Amino acid sequence: MDTIFIKEQRAFMTGNEVIAWAALAAGADIMYGYPITPQNEIMHYWTRLAPKYGRGFLQTEDELSAGFATLGGVMAGKKAFCATAGPGNVLMQEPISMAEMMRIPAVWFIQQRGGPSTATVIYSQQETRLTCFGGNGEGLRLVYSTATHQEIFDYTLKAFNHAWRYRFPTFVLGDGYQAKMREALTLYDPQTRGTQLQSTSPMLGVKGKVQHHRNTFNIEEELYETLSKHLAEWQQMAREVVEWSVSGDEEPDLLLVAHGVVSRATMAASKQLREKGYRVGHFRPITLRPFPITALQEIAGKSQQILVVESAHGQLMSLVRDALYGCSCAPVHGLLRPGLGITAEQVIRQAEELLPKRGYSGANHS
Amino acid sequence: MLRRVEAFVGEHAAGKSEIAITRALALRQEGLPVALVDLDLVEPTYTLRPLQGRLREEGLDVIAWETKQTLGLGEAGMQLHPQVKGVLLRHSGYVVCDVGYGVYGSEVLALVEGLLDFPRLSVYLVVNTCRPLTRDEEQIVVEAQRFRPLHGLINNTHLGAETTVELVQQGARVVQAAAQRLHLPVVATAALVEVAEQMGKWDVCGNPVWPLKRYMPLAFW
Repeated sequence: MDTIFIKEQRAFMTGNEVIAWAALAAGADIMYGYPITPQNEIMHYWTRLAPKYGRGFLQTEDELSAGFATLGGVMAGKKAFCATAGPGNVLMQEPISMAEMMRIPAVWFIQQRGGPSTATVIYSQQETRLTCFGGNGEGLRLVYSTATHQEIFDYTLKAFNHAWRYRFPTFVLGDGYQAKMREALTLYDPQTRGTQLQSTSPMLGVKGKVQHHRNTFNIEEELYETLSKHLAEWQQMAREVVEWSVSGDEEPDLLLVAHGVVSRATMAASKQLREKGYRVGHFRPITLRPFPITALQEIAGKSQQILVVESAHGQLMSLVRDALYGCSCAPVHGLLRPGLGITAEQVIRQAEELLPKRGYSGANHS
Repeated sequence: MLRRVEAFVGEHAAGKSEIAITRALALRQEGLPVALVDLDLVEPTYTLRPLQGRLREEGLDVIAWETKQTLGLGEAGMQLHPQVKGVLLRHSGYVVCDVGYGVYGSEVLALVEGLLDFPRLSVYLVVNTCRPLTRDEEQIVVEAQRFRPLHGLINNTHLGAETTVELVQQGARVVQAAAQRLHLPVVATAALVEVAEQMGKWDVCGNPVWPLKRYMPLAFW
């Protein structure tokens, strides 16, 4: 079998291709999928790579089947994954909920597209809420929101390892723009950097062992008991995996909050605004579920105002408000462009309307 | 009279559209008409469509879907622009085809009337050795098998903004070695204008350097 990466190498590719290579490096055995833009090239590239490296692929008849087949693959002991977008993500909420209930550790790649319904295929963050809380139940999931191709690679490796370590459905949340965008990154074998890959084992069909995996309960108390245990384990995982990045001024007049591809625009805006002399901070949740509540509270408590920027109509903003309720008096504004691209210039324009006039701010805080 | 037809093929994100634009603009310098044809049936609306107004201003006859014509076709694709079919019959000068990637390789060329029988057709494989599936001689040879006919290779080795002369020259050596095994010429090394200026007219293997001005970053869908 071919070696995946002979040595670490810089490469230039699209986000979807990065996922296929990263899944390979993460030791994924099989992908189950059903075509939908903008995730198709994950399947295209996986089907080119899989035969070379002894991995598998199955295209099912629809998204429901792809989702359930992924769970079947995992139960049979395979490191299985799935990818989808938009309405496909809606359909997959049923198998994902079952994965939550049965603690089946599959990995999903979501390349968000504009909604509602089939809508558009490129730039959107309108599946934030769906991916974090889409199913019935309590959203016992792990959701990483990436912003660069390097992060897509790194967090794909992490997603596979954390899924199998904690046994909650795990997501790498991208979008059509990241999917199609071309960018340089370093490809590497995680084991050469000291990361051990989690092993898998069959949940069913183990000789001499009777196993009972349940997604249905007859008695409410029985469900409550099981769910309480899962909730406690999820909370424990949350403390261990929660990730964010914070930068800029520590006591800002304006705190920019964004996730995923939009955070590239807000980071650039934060830098340029600070160069102009404004006191600006930047907060980016990397895990959207669990949400970095404490870290956000800390910086928000020292911020005069907050501007949430997203390619959705308040999905991140509601997570921010929920996290800050009772902890911060800073007004939360939104630059909300559902299904549209967001540039640093647009963020700067909105920020300058909110920020105190230059000079005043510096004098006030110096 | 139609002088030449050039078609650029290769894997997804190899740089086909960027090279096709560069080549079309270079040919336009000769003063003859140049038609730039969007033969991308996989993603027909994402490359030339948003750029066509600007490219028309630069003197190219762009044959691609207009935004208002793509209602409902944006992602479904697989729609050949009707003008593409007869482009060889109507055009003089040069025709440059930007061929989309996909499992069918260059079969899409058969959809253009008379193209595969045209005696002065050149199909060129665009190769970026910084892409894992075309990273070495062996892999490029395998990749080239997917495309028939094929008349030459183009070294488009780059890492976006991180591109250096050394990287491009290293790519040129790898592409040259693959081309020799395929018994095909290397037609050119393409490099961003600022890199090309440092390289001069010829790459390390003696192939011409095509200075490349990036248009695709302007195609913010």
